[in-house]
Amino acid sequence: MNTLYSNSTVVPSGNANPINDHDDAGERGFDVYRAYQRALADEDISPPLAAIHSLTELVTSSNAGTMFELVRALNDGAETLKKRVPNPIGLTAGCELFIGFVTLFPHESASFSELKREIVHQGKSYTSQAIKFRTKIAELALGFIKDDSVILTHSYSRVVTQALLHAHTRKRISVYVTEARPRGLGLKTYGLLTAAGIPCTVVLDSAVAYVMDQVDFVLVGSEAVVESGGLINAVGSNQMAIIAKAENKPFYALAESYKFHRLFPLSQHDLPTHNSGILSFPHSMNRSATTQTRASPRLTDDVPDGSASASLPQRTMTLEQMNRNPDVDYTRPDLISLVFSDVGVLTPEGVSQYLVGMFAGL
Amino acid sequence: MATEPQTAAGQRPVEALAAKLRRRQVVGSRETALETVLVLRQVVTKARFQNINQLVEIIRSVGQKLIEAQPKEHTVGNTVRKLLHHVREEYNNASKGEATTSASSFSIANFVLQGQPRRQAAGQKAESTLVLKEDDSDDPDSFARTLKPVVMEAIQDILDELETVYDNIAKSAKDHIHSDEIILTIGRSKTVETYLKSAAHYHKFTVIVVESGPSYGGHDMACSLSSSGVSTFLVPDSSIYALMSRVSKVILGAHTILANGGMFAVTGSVLTATAARAHSTPVMVCAGQFKLTPLWNLYHEYGALDFADPGSVLGFEECDLVDKVDVVNPYYDYVRPDLVDVYVTNDGDHPPPSIYRLVKESYDDEDNEF
Repeated sequence: MNTLYSNSTVVPSGNANPINDHDDAGERGFDVYRAYQRALADEDISPPLAAIHSLTELVTSSNAGTMFELVRALNDGAETLKKRVPNPIGLTAGCELFIGFVTLFPHESASFSELKREIVHQGKSYTSQAIKFRTKIAELALGFIKDDSVILTHSYSRVVTQALLHAHTRKRISVYVTEARPRGLGLKTYGLLTAAGIPCTVVLDSAVAYVMDQVDFVLVGSEAVVESGGLINAVGSNQMAIIAKAENKPFYALAESYKFHRLFPLSQHDLPTHNSGILSFPHSMNRSATTQTRASPRLTDDVPDGSASASLPQRTMTLEQMNRNPDVDYTRPDLISLVFSDVGVLTPEGVSQYLVGMFAGL
Repeated sequence: MATEPQTAAGQRPVEALAAKLRRRQVVGSRETALETVLVLRQVVTKARFQNINQLVEIIRSVGQKLIEAQPKEHTVGNTVRKLLHHVREEYNNASKGEATTSASSFSIANFVLQGQPRRQAAGQKAESTLVLKEDDSDDPDSFARTLKPVVMEAIQDILDELETVYDNIAKSAKDHIHSDEIILTIGRSKTVETYLKSAAHYHKFTVIVVESGPSYGGHDMACSLSSSGVSTFLVPDSSIYALMSRVSKVILGAHTILANGGMFAVTGSVLTATAARAHSTPVMVCAGQFKLTPLWNLYHEYGALDFADPGSVLGFEECDLVDKVDVVNPYYDYVRPDLVDVYVTNDGDHPPPSIYRLVKESYDDEDNEF
């Protein structure tokens, strides 16, 4: 199974392949994107933190002489990052937080270089602090897990895995995890949990409804939590939430507070990752020739012909078909029972309050 | 010098209340809250402390003792939490002069916390004139001398709030209840009773009281309402669903409101709320703020918080049966947040999802566990 996906993504959150080739050298020789990638290489660092980290480095190397210049440099850096990463949602949340912070930073230092040093110090101490947030969330979640719970989770999330491993030390739990096509990250969760001795079974994404009546609650991670209190997470979370609601099972989301994102999507189409290519119907024959689409790509009943998918076994999507599918989806707040975050257990409405409070001064 | 927390908890009034709570001589959310405030007042009056931590520790130890005695009366803990919140607030106000907000305290983590719910400026008193000297070795009592009056004032505030709670909730009654409405309520709740009577001054409406067996609190409620001139019907629990189609509003009381917006209320409340949902009848809950509890309902969905005497369900006169069956008489229901439309409190009307915010505003996070 693993060989199937190993070539597609290396970095956990899928921000690996720099699709755009255009090479912004960044701020005077400093490449913010490279700094971002360097930070992401650490398995514990998620995109928002990596973004804060790279922006902190940008401040270090920037020779801005005024606050205005500095904020503009940061905004440019954030823009560059967003352009070069296929899924900029998590990263944008981090950038927003850091830029918001810098903008409101009190000007009490003697000189501007002093101020910059102070900002860099704050950025660094935050990233080191933020690593511990997951421990705190795991502790909060523990209170909601009773003995002999059966938990359903989706795909792979660092914070969920940590919460489950932590719960395992104190309670008896068993876990169903979805395979999470097409990246199959559920198998990673499966591997980690099984290694720790937690009874764990992989569930087909299409079998979520089948398994729902056996679970006590659903626990998912998140890419971002948005202003409506809704959730952006690996595709499949939305349907899981809908099914959980239909079965009256609690649906809990875990999110570190740096994933709070000032965005108000009303539907899947409002997500920044959405583009016209996603789930589009094939164009008419003559136009499809230019995009190498086969005549009926949605019905590959027979062995797919060699080209892009020679290694794929039968009856799976071609790479091209996968590319037409979304990576993340949006879950409405009314489907979410609670959001566990390092700032406490919040109702979805509580998240919006945090966001409003944080950015009220801007 | 300072009173050891252990001895504070061991003081006679504390012991006496703990015993009463344990024996169920003091029951009901408001009664227990009132008793707790009175005990706290005695303890603080006598307490000797040199710094804020000692004072907090003394109050906490009393809280611990009382909660241990009766963990099911959540208002005891709430009252203690509220006092601790006020004490810290007064202390922070007084010591604000020394610690100005400097850049060092402005970190990204604090930036995130700007979104934290907090009381609006209304609570900000005019510039405090207290000069607090902590751990003054020359004059160990100086700290207590300056802070104590303020703390006593805070205790008095809590007491006043408890004493006026029914009237304050009932203030909005005339706006919520209209003429010719048919209101359904269950069991006896002093809050709901005052609320309905207050509305009766302005409008003519009908109340259907469900008797709520086997405690039959509804009987007292119906008597009390009809004696003050409200047109009242008393009905058995089994007819809730059948009558619901005629009802324009359901008004319930609460024992405890939880942070997730759910609540514990007298048995039959879930039945009523569910029937109301089936008929899309609005469900209103009247409760004082002191019932807000920083707890998330975890696993009470099936069981009750508390069990009452099973004798009223199946008495010993049925001796043949008593041996053969288990009799339980759950006293409270857990009502899910989605079954409630609005909480009417002495601090305004709130939908269930914003209850957690009120909870965060009223208590400090570190006091959630004693």
